[in-house]
Amino acid sequence: MENSVEHPGDILKTLLTIAWLLPLAGFAIEVFGGYWGGRRSKAAAYLAVLCIATGFVCSTAALLVWGNATDWVALEQSEHHDAHGSAHSGPQGPGAHEANGHERHAGTVFSGTFYTLARFGSLVVSLDYYIDSLTLVMFMMVTLVATCIHIFAIGYMSEELTDDYVDHQVHPSRGGHLHRPGRFYLFFSYMSLFCFSMLGLVLAGNIFMVFVFWELVGICSYLLIGFYIERKSACTAANKAFIMNRVGDFGFLIGMMVLWTWFGTFHFGPHEVDGATKPGLFQMARGNDGQLDVDHDAHVVYLRDGEGNRLADAKTGQPRTIPYMLLVVAGLGVFAGCVGKSAQFPLQTWLPDAMEGPTPVSALVHSATMVAAGVYLAGRFYPMFAPDVLLVIAYVGCITLFLAATIAIVATDIKRVLAYSTISQLGYMMLAIGVAGWAAGLFHLITHAIFKSLMFLASGSVIAGCHHEQEMPRMGGLRKKMPITAYTMLVGVIAISGLAIPISLYGFTPAFSGYHSKDAIVATALAFTNLNSAHFLLFWVPLVTAGITAFYMFRLWFYTFAGQPRDAELYKHVHESPWVMTGPLVVLALFAAFIVPTGENSTLFKLLTHSEPAGVAAGVAASGTANIALPGHEAIHAVHSEAGTYALMVALAGAIVAYLLYGARLLDPADIKRQFAGLHHFLVEKWQFDNLYDAAFVRPVRVVAAWCAAIDRIVFDGFLHGICRVGIDVSRWDRKFDENVVDGLVNLVGDVTFSVGRSLRAVQTGRLRQYIMFIALGVMVLFLLLFMFFPR
Amino acid sequence: MLLLSLIIFLPAAGAFFVAWFPPNSDEAQRQFSLAITIGTFVLTLFLFADFNKHDPGIQPVYVVAQAEGNAPATYTRLQSYSINADGKVVADGNVVENASRGAAFEWISNWNIYYRLGYDGISFPLVLLTSFICLLAMLASWSVTKQVKGYLILFLLLETGMLGVFLALDFFLFYVFWEIMLLPMYFLIGIWGGPRKEYAAIKFFLYTLAGGVLMLIAMLMFYFASNSNFNLMELADLAKRGGFDQTMQITAFILLFIGFAIKIPTFPFHTWLPDAHVEAPTPISMILAGVLLKMGGYGILRVAFPLCPYGAQVAAYALVVIGAVSIIYGAFAAMAQTDFKRLVAYSSVSHMGYVLVGIAIWKINEATGAVEGKDYWVMGMNGAMFQMLAHGVSSAGMFFMVGVIYDRVHHRDLNRFGGLAGLMPLYSGLAVGIFFAGLGLPGLCGFIGEVFVVISSYNYSPLLAIIAASGVILTAGYILWTLQRVYLGAEYKGPHPEAITPMNGREITVGSVLLIAAIALGVYPAMAFDIMHGSMDLLATSLDEGYRAALSGLMSASN
Amino acid sequence: MGAIGLKHYLVVGAVMFVCGVVCMATKRNGIGVLMGVELVLNGANINFVAFSQYTALQLDGQVMALFVIVLAAAEAAIALAIALNFYNNHLTIDVDRGDELQG
Repeated sequence: MENSVEHPGDILKTLLTIAWLLPLAGFAIEVFGGYWGGRRSKAAAYLAVLCIATGFVCSTAALLVWGNATDWVALEQSEHHDAHGSAHSGPQGPGAHEANGHERHAGTVFSGTFYTLARFGSLVVSLDYYIDSLTLVMFMMVTLVATCIHIFAIGYMSEELTDDYVDHQVHPSRGGHLHRPGRFYLFFSYMSLFCFSMLGLVLAGNIFMVFVFWELVGICSYLLIGFYIERKSACTAANKAFIMNRVGDFGFLIGMMVLWTWFGTFHFGPHEVDGATKPGLFQMARGNDGQLDVDHDAHVVYLRDGEGNRLADAKTGQPRTIPYMLLVVAGLGVFAGCVGKSAQFPLQTWLPDAMEGPTPVSALVHSATMVAAGVYLAGRFYPMFAPDVLLVIAYVGCITLFLAATIAIVATDIKRVLAYSTISQLGYMMLAIGVAGWAAGLFHLITHAIFKSLMFLASGSVIAGCHHEQEMPRMGGLRKKMPITAYTMLVGVIAISGLAIPISLYGFTPAFSGYHSKDAIVATALAFTNLNSAHFLLFWVPLVTAGITAFYMFRLWFYTFAGQPRDAELYKHVHESPWVMTGPLVVLALFAAFIVPTGENSTLFKLLTHSEPAGVAAGVAASGTANIALPGHEAIHAVHSEAGTYALMVALAGAIVAYLLYGARLLDPADIKRQFAGLHHFLVEKWQFDNLYDAAFVRPVRVVAAWCAAIDRIVFDGFLHGICRVGIDVSRWDRKFDENVVDGLVNLVGDVTFSVGRSLRAVQTGRLRQYIMFIALGVMVLFLLLFMFFPR
Repeated sequence: MLLLSLIIFLPAAGAFFVAWFPPNSDEAQRQFSLAITIGTFVLTLFLFADFNKHDPGIQPVYVVAQAEGNAPATYTRLQSYSINADGKVVADGNVVENASRGAAFEWISNWNIYYRLGYDGISFPLVLLTSFICLLAMLASWSVTKQVKGYLILFLLLETGMLGVFLALDFFLFYVFWEIMLLPMYFLIGIWGGPRKEYAAIKFFLYTLAGGVLMLIAMLMFYFASNSNFNLMELADLAKRGGFDQTMQITAFILLFIGFAIKIPTFPFHTWLPDAHVEAPTPISMILAGVLLKMGGYGILRVAFPLCPYGAQVAAYALVVIGAVSIIYGAFAAMAQTDFKRLVAYSSVSHMGYVLVGIAIWKINEATGAVEGKDYWVMGMNGAMFQMLAHGVSSAGMFFMVGVIYDRVHHRDLNRFGGLAGLMPLYSGLAVGIFFAGLGLPGLCGFIGEVFVVISSYNYSPLLAIIAASGVILTAGYILWTLQRVYLGAEYKGPHPEAITPMNGREITVGSVLLIAAIALGVYPAMAFDIMHGSMDLLATSLDEGYRAALSGLMSASN
Repeated sequence: MGAIGLKHYLVVGAVMFVCGVVCMATKRNGIGVLMGVELVLNGANINFVAFSQYTALQLDGQVMALFVIVLAAAEAAIALAIALNFYNNHLTIDVDRGDELQG
């Protein structure tokens, strides 16, 4: 692979960079062209679709280039989960292939630098790329889903193609509805900006660059949630989303600080500094065998160099270490970012509110890509997570998936059901990563992205067909009027519920994509629980929730599409969406159904498994302060069919209950609601999280803010004013002193002199004889005095 | 020398000429002043041609030739040279031993005061920022209609003062420019300000004057301790060799620091800022936030730290605490404001806190006194410098954006805005971009400074780093809440809805230029770091030496 | 108490002086007052001369006496002129009437 004229890394870089930057160029053109162009032009949408579709083509080409360059090693490892061990994550990078020729799958990662942002001595901050099969799969998924959603949005957003858009949800104070120019172009420019940010996030070769694009997707999400800026609820939801993400990013920053201070680099993989190759974060933490080099007595982890040996400090020669607890802190910090972005417990409350955005946004940003970025990062950063961190991740995912699923049962807004389902599914992915089901988690990420965006688009089609009615209790029986939407939606529902035909055809179970990915997760959880029996909840909760998932998804479908219409007036005006909207539905439905026909032997799963960090496949014996053992591929494979059976049974049960309640309507859900009124209220109030956060954080922050302002006004300004007042008072006293004391003294002297003179005037009689008498007497007195005081 | 003097005094000359314009020629006066500020900006761009990026020291460099007898030495400008590993100047392959840095003329010979100018990687970006912001502020000055001539004269004098501060290398000259700057500002706020202008102007004046007096005391301390020397380069060199004892360094540092901290401003010396900003006219707010606040940070980097390395190191923890408190406190206070300008002013307090944190994260080995993790400290200082530039752009932009809407509706009550995005889409787009720069969004200028400072500060103190980092949540909170109240929403709720008209060409120019600058700095920060990094590294090295020299002075004395 | 000594002269001088002073203090006539002045001056002259005879003052005393005589003559001339003018203005030389200089 070295003999090609152009280095495959360069081709890959060029292709993915084009796919990455085209939407940015599209954004710039769309936003300015749209502003100065007409409001009725669809040009912006066509441009956006062109950009992202070209991106898809480039991504596909990149995958082919990558496959050729690596001789498709990723696909060879079928049927032997146990055989390949830790083979394929050696030291990587464009120049490092030959050096590691002894590794069978070495050199399938291509990394390099775009440009350097700043450099301080040995510290380098740069924009890098890191391309492995995970990157490529993510690129293809994002561009594919985004293309479908962009095309769908051309139809969905067509109401904005006007100079006078009427927003029926906004009631200005002077009455009537709000009229405003349409913002068709703006929607597509935001979407393009989002695609750029999301692809940058996936392409990033260091954690700093991830953070950069992490924030950018956050702001795009803010702009898109708040797309209907006139609606207060939309603006508030956008603020909430961004601020809650910032809370997670605060943790992310702390994680980055720890890594930066103790590792001195942000790079994932090896990188060149002054001609020398420096190891990246993953190698420094895990070496080449994927194991942490922990000193259990000193509670430190030794850092490793590019060869896997202990890294010596350049100055002292001592081996460099990081305290184990700090590695945990770093991992938890970065994971906090993932929690925010992926709406995991306890930062899950923003995602349902984010449904205020237009439905294509919910499909693209808040189900398929951005929220999945948290899972992506947790996967990408897996080597940096100590066992204790993994346990936290698993439990967070476990709590989230249960919590969100329970709320989804009672939600009646069609988009909110899907939002809670998204949170729940993201919880599954996190759980998978936490229990060492690395590939299973990311596998579910990809399949979920496809079937969830399908369902969101289908719900968008329903909403458009029902003239912006989102409440399911007013729907029903829609399948007759919008069959394409209904049956593509059904594909998605079956996929997410994990239903399958319990037979084996040539060793494979015929099922839609969701079955395989969820099956993999449940199997991993079971294997994990087998090894760590104390953590049995990590298997039982997701298993039960799989049933709940099937229940609420089928509830949604039956509620919306089956039975008789509940609102005749609404039903009368319902119509099937045009082809520009149903076309993407069909495409996505096909993908959702058939993207992984053979489960874990499919190309997609193998590609993902190929990027699995070293050491995952073999499993890890008990480690960490929590003493966790992680299952290897072999252990998972052993329980695979068992777990699959459980999951399928539970899912079927859930689906049947849903059918009984909402499909056949044999039981009245209202009865159950009355029976459990307290619980129902608790769930409708989303476990009281919003109220709790409002009381625990939002109001205290405002109070503290008011205090700060008051302190400024009262204490500091008061102090200053006090000083000034004292100054003025002092000067006033000074004036009084001057006027009374100093001037008084001077005047007194004058007065005394004057009055003495006046009284002496009487002596000046003008009489000569008297004067002479005075003289004579005076002389005599003088003499007398003289004799008295100086006697001889 | 000529170029530097020209940069400083071109605005003053312009002010002189403005004075002779006939009355009722406001437009001509404004255009003339604008031409002057453009000229100054272009002149500062010429500095690029002279600037040697690979020389971290003060420039320009001269070769000194001692003449026979009592004749004065001749100085020859060294055009092309390089710096070797020892930091010596090398020209044509030979080490130049008699190189002299900075250009100087004797000014008051009895007291050894020189008119000494020069620039390096620390002052150069700030000089550029000053002339850039002044140009934009002048463009924004069309909104001032009262006593235009006086306004323009004071404006140009102010620019002279500011440029002088950044270019002066003689302590006395520095002090003179520092005080020169003060008076125009006082009148600009006091005459052209809002309803409480007298109060604000006097508050500003008193605060800054108090700082100036403290600096004067410190200046005299150094003058007498250094055998009558005002040369900042030589004083720094003396400090590097341990020329000032520890007590003096600590005393002088406290005096200098308070003087500069008032200017930054940090908690608890910040209360003049909201009042001054609220009352000042828009262009003056832009200059105040964009340039004046930077003098505090610059003073710390140029004067306080190099002259008292020991004092600085002793106070480092306190400095970082003050910086972190400023970040949090400013953000909280901003959140509680209802006046748009006050909010932006408090955001300045918060953002400038990062500057102090970044500068002061000087970690030492307790045993030897040597700096530990110097790269992190250099990164922090660079981040602080970058934060100053970024804040210069973003806060000037924010004040400008407030000014644009204030000029139309004549109120700043945050609760009585709303819906501007629909009424003024272009304005809102630019404003949201600028506010995002303030929020620290990646790709815009605010991000790099904040994040670099925060990330590098963990090496110094994890606790303080985390406190500083928590500012990102609060910042997002108050900025997004403001955006929602002002730009988003269904309708405008305040008075004068009929006055809301789209931006005119001049306003569009200022706003978009600022936004473009914010994007450029955010996307390619290396253009600033390339200039600054060398000087920062040199500064860190000499501070380290200076601290250890002062420390060993103590050891030999106690033995 | 044999030969006449300094004391005797001093006694005579003092008597003359006192007589002069009393004369000045009691006479209302201006000429009388002038005569009193002459007595006082000559009392002093006797002292000068006596001191020149009996002490180391020697000729200086005599010279002083001569000065005093000259001075007295000049004084008398001026005083008489004043008296004459006074008389012209007040038709009297009663010094008690000349009290215009009172304060």
